[in-house]
Formats: sequence, C-alpha cells, structure tokens
Amino acid sequence: MDAALRSFPFQAMGSFCEIRFLEPSRIEARANARKMLAEVNRLEQKYSRYNPASFLSEINAMAGNNLGTKLDTETRTIFNHALSCYEQSDGLFDITAGVLRRIWDFSSGKVPSQTEVDRLLSHIGFHKLQFSKSRLILPAGMEIDFGGIVKEYAADSVARLGRSLGIECGLVNLGGDFAVIGPLPVNRPWPIGIIHPEGDRNLMARLMLEQGGLASSGDYERCFVHQGKRYSHILNPKTGWPCDGLRAVSVSADTCTVAGSIATIAMLKPEQQGIALLEELGVDHTYMTCDEQISGRGFITDSSAEKIADQIPS
Amino acid sequence: MTRKNTATGRKSGPGSKKLLALSTTALALPGIAAADAPPPFSTLSYKFTNYQEDDISRREAPFGERERYDIDVHQLRLITPTGRNTSLQIDGNQESMSGASPWFNIAGADGDPIVNLSGASGIRDSRRELSIAGSYYFDNATLSASTGYSVEDDYRSRYYGLSGQTNLHQDLTTIAAGISYADDEIFPTDAELFNRVTKESKFSTSAFVSISQIINQTSTLQAALSITEQTGFLSDPYKLRDVRPEQRTQLALSSSYRHFFVSEDAALHINYRYYHDDFGISSHTLDSSWYQNLGNSLQLIPHLRYYSQSAADFYSNVDNFVLPVTENQSSDYRLSAYGAVSGGINLVAPFGDWLISLNTERYIANEKYSAYDVTQPGAGLVRYFRVSLGIDYTF
Repeated sequence: MDAALRSFPFQAMGSFCEIRFLEPSRIEARANARKMLAEVNRLEQKYSRYNPASFLSEINAMAGNNLGTKLDTETRTIFNHALSCYEQSDGLFDITAGVLRRIWDFSSGKVPSQTEVDRLLSHIGFHKLQFSKSRLILPAGMEIDFGGIVKEYAADSVARLGRSLGIECGLVNLGGDFAVIGPLPVNRPWPIGIIHPEGDRNLMARLMLEQGGLASSGDYERCFVHQGKRYSHILNPKTGWPCDGLRAVSVSADTCTVAGSIATIAMLKPEQQGIALLEELGVDHTYMTCDEQISGRGFITDSSAEKIADQIPS
Repeated sequence: MTRKNTATGRKSGPGSKKLLALSTTALALPGIAAADAPPPFSTLSYKFTNYQEDDISRREAPFGERERYDIDVHQLRLITPTGRNTSLQIDGNQESMSGASPWFNIAGADGDPIVNLSGASGIRDSRRELSIAGSYYFDNATLSASTGYSVEDDYRSRYYGLSGQTNLHQDLTTIAAGISYADDEIFPTDAELFNRVTKESKFSTSAFVSISQIINQTSTLQAALSITEQTGFLSDPYKLRDVRPEQRTQLALSSSYRHFFVSEDAALHINYRYYHDDFGISSHTLDSSWYQNLGNSLQLIPHLRYYSQSAADFYSNVDNFVLPVTENQSSDYRLSAYGAVSGGINLVAPFGDWLISLNTERYIANEKYSAYDVTQPGAGLVRYFRVSLGIDYTF
C-alpha cells in the first residue's frame, strides 16, 4: 500500500492553517480532513472575538448584567485553564486584557495618556470575574479574549480527533500553532521551521517535533522606543503599557495548549525573567531578544539563513 | 539531528510545579481529554444475526420434533450528540424465532433421559424491543439514564437503568457504577389447554461497580463486580414440571486485561469471569481474542471461549412427576453441570464513513467438557452456529 502525504491548507482563525497526514486513499483523506476542519470551524464559531454570533460575543455582550452567562463544560474548562495561566504568570497572562487595544493604536504611533490607561485598568483583572455555579458574571466594561488559548486548544483537539479517526502520521498547523497527530513513518519527527520575526522567509530556528505540540508568541513588529525605553507591542495587563520583554518565543510541550500558555507568559515577562522562566520550566524553547539575539534549548538555531522552502517535507 | 521533546520525560525541576499546574488544566479541556465529551459524530448501525441450534440427536429424542431454535435478529442503533454536553442512544431490536425447546424429559429403557421437544408444530414467536438512553457529560464524568421495553407474544419486560463513571489520576483510572431494575411479566400461550400458569411476574434489581486502570501505553486492566437479586416466578412455564425457588441472588466477578503489541500491530484481550448464585450454580468463563490489524482497512479477530458450570441443587435430568409440586426440581439443561467451548472469527473493515463487520461463532456444550463433577449429565445441551453482519454509518 502506497501511503501518500495529503495536505489540506485552509484559512481559519485569522491565519493560514494546514492539516497534513498520511493516507493512501484520496477519498478517505478528504472525508477525514472534512471532519477535522469541522472541528476547527466549530471552535472558531464558538470562540471568535470578531464573530458577533459567537458564544464568546454572547458572553461579552452580557458584561454588566448580573444574570451572567451559563457556561458549558468546554468553556468552563477553558476558563479553568485561563485561571491557571493567570495564577502561574502572577497575573500577567490575563484573558481580560483585550480592552487595552481600545487605546493602544501602534499604527498611529500615538501614546495614550496615563489617565486613559488608568481608566481602562479598572476593567482588567481575571479576579474580578465572578463565577457562580456554572454561570459567569462579567462586570460592566470588561471583555474576554481567549487569544493565546483557543487556537492552541483547537490544534490539540483536531490532533486528538485525527488520532481517533485512525490517522497515525499527521500534523496540525493552525497559524503557527502545531499539534502532532502522529510522527512520520518509522517514528521520524516532523521538521518545523520557526519564521524569523524580521520576515523575509528566513528561519529563526528549527525543531524536530515527534509528539505533543509547539506554539509561538511573538511581536512581529519592530520594538519601539519611548522616552529612551524600548517597548514591544505586547501589552502588560497590570500597567496597561507595552511590555519590555522578549521579541519572540517558541515552546514545545506535551500539548500545544501548554506550549502556547508558556510562550505567552514568557513574552509578557520582562526579558530576563522570561528567559529564566523558560529555563526553569525545562521545556524545549527558543527565543529572540529585543536586540535580535537568538537562543534556547532543544531547537536548532544555527545562524545560517535557511529558506523555509527547504524545510517542507515532500 | 533529532531531539525528543517531551516535558514529562525529564526529571522534575523547580519549574515542574508550574508546568504541572498548566498541564493539569490543559489536559482537562474536552478536546484534549479523551473521555467525557459527547461523541463527535452520529453513528447509525444495523446488524443482522442468525442463530441456529443444531437439531437434537435421535438418540436424545427418539420421537417427535428434532428441530430446535432458529432465531433471526435485526438490530438498529443510533448514537448521536444532542448538545454541548449530551448524547442520545436509541436501540431497536426485532427477533423472530422458530423451532422447539425441551418440554419434559423421561427416562429411557437404559436409564438415559429422553428429551421431548415441545409442540408438534414447534414454537413461533417474535420479540420487539425499544430502548433509549441519554448521557450527560460533566467535566470529568458521565451520567447515563436508560429505559427500555421488550414485548413477545407471551412475555413483556420493562427496564430502567442509571449509571455513571468518572476519571481519576489524569484519566488513567476510570471508576463506574450503576443500578438497574427490570419488571417482567409472563403470560404463557395455551395456558388452559396445557394447565400452565396464566400470568406471573418477575422482578430483578442489579448493581455493579467497575474499575479500569491504564497501566502503561500498551496495557489496561479492568475489574468489575455485579450483584443481581431476582424475585417472583423464576420457573419455566412451558415445561411439564419445573419448580424453582422464588428468589435468586447472583454474583459475578469479572476481570479483563488488554495488551497492545506494537510490532505485531495487534491487541490481545483476555477476560475471566466467576459467577455464583444461590441456586447452587457456580461458573468460570475464560475467553481470549486477538485483534489483528491488517493495514488500515481490515481487522481480523479470532476468538476462543471456555465455559463451565456446576449444576443447580435441584437439577434432575429426568422429571420426577411423583415429587410434590412444592419441591424444587428442573430438568432444564441450562441448570445442569456442563462445559462449553466456542470460537470463531470476526472481521471489521472500515470504508470511509462506513464500517462493515462480520462475526461468526460456533458453540458446543457438552457435559464431558465440564470442570465440575457431573452426577446427572444434562440432556439436550445445545450446539449452535451464529453469524452476524453489521453495517455502521458515521455522519
């Protein structure tokens, strides 16, 4: 039986996505891909911030209403994980921080006034959310954003679905968040290239991923300097100001969800603390500092510029 | 250069607590956790089974009917997710049987029992059954409730069940428990003609607990205990003389082990069950199956089972019509001491959204196979051949 590597590229969750897997039958491959795509669509439609009909929009629309919203099991477990991220990052990874985008418009280069920032800070803080049994009561002015969790979770969920469909060799890529369905034949790992924040199709690092997942968090804009201090475009929910942390972080872990949580937390911390956290957790990682130094462990970070095209297995 | 990247494969460092906290909540997400989410798709299944008992030998039944049961079963099942946390299962069965079963046994000239099969024209009956079950999936547990109704020309059964299961130790351990209750009524045909009982009832209450443990990536172990209490009319109304106690307590202990052999791409399932009831019957069942994957499109499953039971305290292979009707006695071969060997091959073949399965089984019961002492060999022990063909469609 001649097994063929099938590729199904698609647009979802605001990014380029692709599911690849080995399947000799083209008909079977399409049937399986349809099922996996349906899972991505389900999660996108449920948790999209941009879709006014999503369940997340429903939650946000209830801000200030004491009735709150009844959460289903899946959403409750996502909140549980978000709480764990909030606690483990000492409040830096906060799913209520999205409101800051209302005042920070990096394209205009305008820096908001401190009073504007302070006014919004009162609407940020996971601890301000009230959970009563299975209901969430969202205080007025607050907003939930599952960025850094849902796309990663979707990758894991699709990978598990792929395994349950009997796929043995496969890889899910949802906009740079990877989850392995199963390794390539004879247990060979999947080669994955991490794009350089400067773009131009150069790779920042490579990783051979055999199982679990890989997620990246990065500021793919240049750092900016304000009053002599360097800032990234990632916003700190505690100060309301941009972070002075790492430029880009990629982490691999047993699940894409955990990898994404760690990468996000590392990005939110001040540069040295972010690096210290990655080393302390003992996961494979690679990072780029604001002055474009690349380092890490478990990743191949040779400085020779390699083209992405070379990394795609045929 | 290949590097294995597992966070768990490493020695725990000071950061592992943080990692564990993040991993624990991530692994609870329903898309990652294997259990406790409604099935992602709906499945409609149809299965046809033919069960055919061999004719009884002329040695055992010198007169009358020799043909025994021939049963056709049509089963239809739908499993469908109905919401974020719920699923529904509907089962419909239709059975039609024809043939005969032992009516009474008398002693032949050499003392061996002679079996008389019932009815010159045999028995014709059909059974229809409908059951419905709903499940609710919690964070880490599932609760199911079910009810069913089964009806035959001379029998009616209603049953209700409630069961739940929960996962512990990051889903490595599953504990399940359940209770069920059945209320059956029997109203034999031709009751007046043959002086049979006209209407009797039977109640069964059952409870079980089970624990499953994933030992490692390739093996799991399961143990279960179930207790059933039956009261009411437990005799066979069609036999000329069949008097059994009006209460029966049944206990079953079972265990199973599954091991997946990576290099063979196959799994071995071994099950053992011990059973005891206060009719005096004890039994052992040992069965094993080998699930061999052949590529991605075929699974071949040879299976073999051995069964042996002791006789009920009141079993007698020849009906004693002199004994008062208050005394317990039965010549039902199912209450005698015997052993049985069965085996067969199953085939499972998936085609896209379709799955086809074929099951075959040959069963031979004989007092010579018994692991227990046989003081009165049972008369009329069955041999049967069963074949079924199933089709599943997932959508």
